[in-house]
Amino acid sequence: MNDNNELDRMSSGIGGLDIVLQGGFFRGGLYLIQGTPGTGKTTLANQICFNHVARGNRAIYVTLLAEYHARMVQFIGRMSFFDESKIPDQLSYFSGFRVLREEGLPGLLTLVRREIIAKKVSVLVIDGVIAAQRSAEHDQAFNEFVHELQGIAIATHCTLFLVTSADRDAKTTPEHTMVDGILDLSDHSVGWSMPRALHVVKVRGSAYLRGKHAYKITDDGVVVYPRIEALLTEPSTAAHGGQERVTTGIAQLDTMLGGGLPSGSPTLLLGPSGIGKTTFGLQFLSRCSDSAPGLMMGFYETPARILAKAQQVCRPLVNLLGNGAVELLWQPPIDDSLDAYGERLLTAVRRRGVKRLFLDGLGALQSAPAAAERMRQYLPALTNELRIQGVTTLYSLEAANIVGPETRTSFGDLSVLAENLVLLRYVELRSRLHRLISILKVRDSDFDPFLHEFFLTDQGPAVNASAASPRGD
Amino acid sequence: MATVLVVDDEFGIAELFEAILEDEGHRVLTASNGRHGLEVLAKERPDVVFLDYMMPVMDGANMLRRMTADQKLQHIPVVMMSSIPEAAVAERCSGYVKFMRKPFYVSQVTDVVDELVGRSAPPDA
Repeated sequence: MNDNNELDRMSSGIGGLDIVLQGGFFRGGLYLIQGTPGTGKTTLANQICFNHVARGNRAIYVTLLAEYHARMVQFIGRMSFFDESKIPDQLSYFSGFRVLREEGLPGLLTLVRREIIAKKVSVLVIDGVIAAQRSAEHDQAFNEFVHELQGIAIATHCTLFLVTSADRDAKTTPEHTMVDGILDLSDHSVGWSMPRALHVVKVRGSAYLRGKHAYKITDDGVVVYPRIEALLTEPSTAAHGGQERVTTGIAQLDTMLGGGLPSGSPTLLLGPSGIGKTTFGLQFLSRCSDSAPGLMMGFYETPARILAKAQQVCRPLVNLLGNGAVELLWQPPIDDSLDAYGERLLTAVRRRGVKRLFLDGLGALQSAPAAAERMRQYLPALTNELRIQGVTTLYSLEAANIVGPETRTSFGDLSVLAENLVLLRYVELRSRLHRLISILKVRDSDFDPFLHEFFLTDQGPAVNASAASPRGD
Repeated sequence: MATVLVVDDEFGIAELFEAILEDEGHRVLTASNGRHGLEVLAKERPDVVFLDYMMPVMDGANMLRRMTADQKLQHIPVVMMSSIPEAAVAERCSGYVKFMRKPFYVSQVTDVVDELVGRSAPPDA
């Protein structure tokens, strides 16, 4: 234990939640976990207990008018954090409702106090606090109960969690002002999906990541994904300021770009369906090595299909996939949060020190809940972190129109995303479709402004050295 | 008719036993933890005790230990109840005659009582 004036932290055992809380809970703190029914309050509280006892500590879970213990154990018993061997020596389940009914709040306080001391526990949960609130003769009695709980927590250094239901439009109540921290769990309809959000309403004496953060309830319990744009407000390391160029794997395209892609920069490869965006991306990855590993994150094509494509048009990549210099991260565009995608991507990048990233099908991110309102903050935050990690990134994005002079996408302003912009498009000329490539933008650099015709060959894309003729000859 | 003591902290369990067994003509005593249970046993001699394993103040293992150490109480059959498997309970205590894993069915309760104390006559009309 630290000096009495210093507040120790206690990990929740949930990585994303500790990040949101910027270090976990304060030992001896009193926290409120609130949420509407079905949002995982009881799962979260149990998970905190099991994670705590897994570190050799003791905890007690007290229920008031909540689930029967047997039913609760049946549900949480299927989750990976559940460890039967910890019950009851390290983790006990008690009901406090009978005591509450017969002896009121003072009786419940006595029970809590004596059990914390007798069993030397350092985490105690009271689930179903609404029953205690309703049993109070008046508001002041419940306030005194909360105040005394806080005193118990401080004196015993035991971290207390009160679990309670909250209406969607819950007003601030006295206990909200008295507790040291409030975690609010909620879900809401977005079209046909119901994304879950964790919101730290307050934490006394500490910074925390404000706003909503996505979470899921999985077989591993509650998994929290800190909101990318909140998490990456501060760069994780010093910015990567390299001026060197990185080859695209296509010599003529490098020439058009003025020597390749600026190292550590994001490039948007824009074009209609079927024009060869993925083939360009594979070529980009074919220049990876053990010292400059690569990653492809794709949303639509399975790893097997990507491998088959590489065997057809980019054989050097097959070897790199085989020896692990390039990794395929397949992420079906399911009903997941932007932050879950971002977390998976950044974890894969950091784990292997990835230097080349090809994110195939950027538009898939738009199917994530709240993508439309968040994209202008999310993508720059993600892109900036990739730049800081020294990753040269190629994003492919599908253009809505197949043929014609205009290029429309489902994304709005592309400048927030791309420092370099490469456009692929079809042009119809003399009853034949031609594939053209052009550069629209390169960071701090001049570039070849002409359109060039390109062909997809079994060696990958082949770009004509001379500018395309307007007559097609 | 038998006298059954149910020792369980969880609200609703003792009430459930009362509903099940009183209909069968049995008398049901209740206590909310091991200490209360021993207080009841100081005044009453039930034919069987249903004892919850995890309770505040005094848990089921402790109460059973006190009962088996007491010549006046050690003959009373004890049915241990818990939401955790019997193997985990058996590691920590012994001396109970039966184990019931929670959640259980009504028929299990009546079957166990019938087995331990014999089927009693239906209540007088």
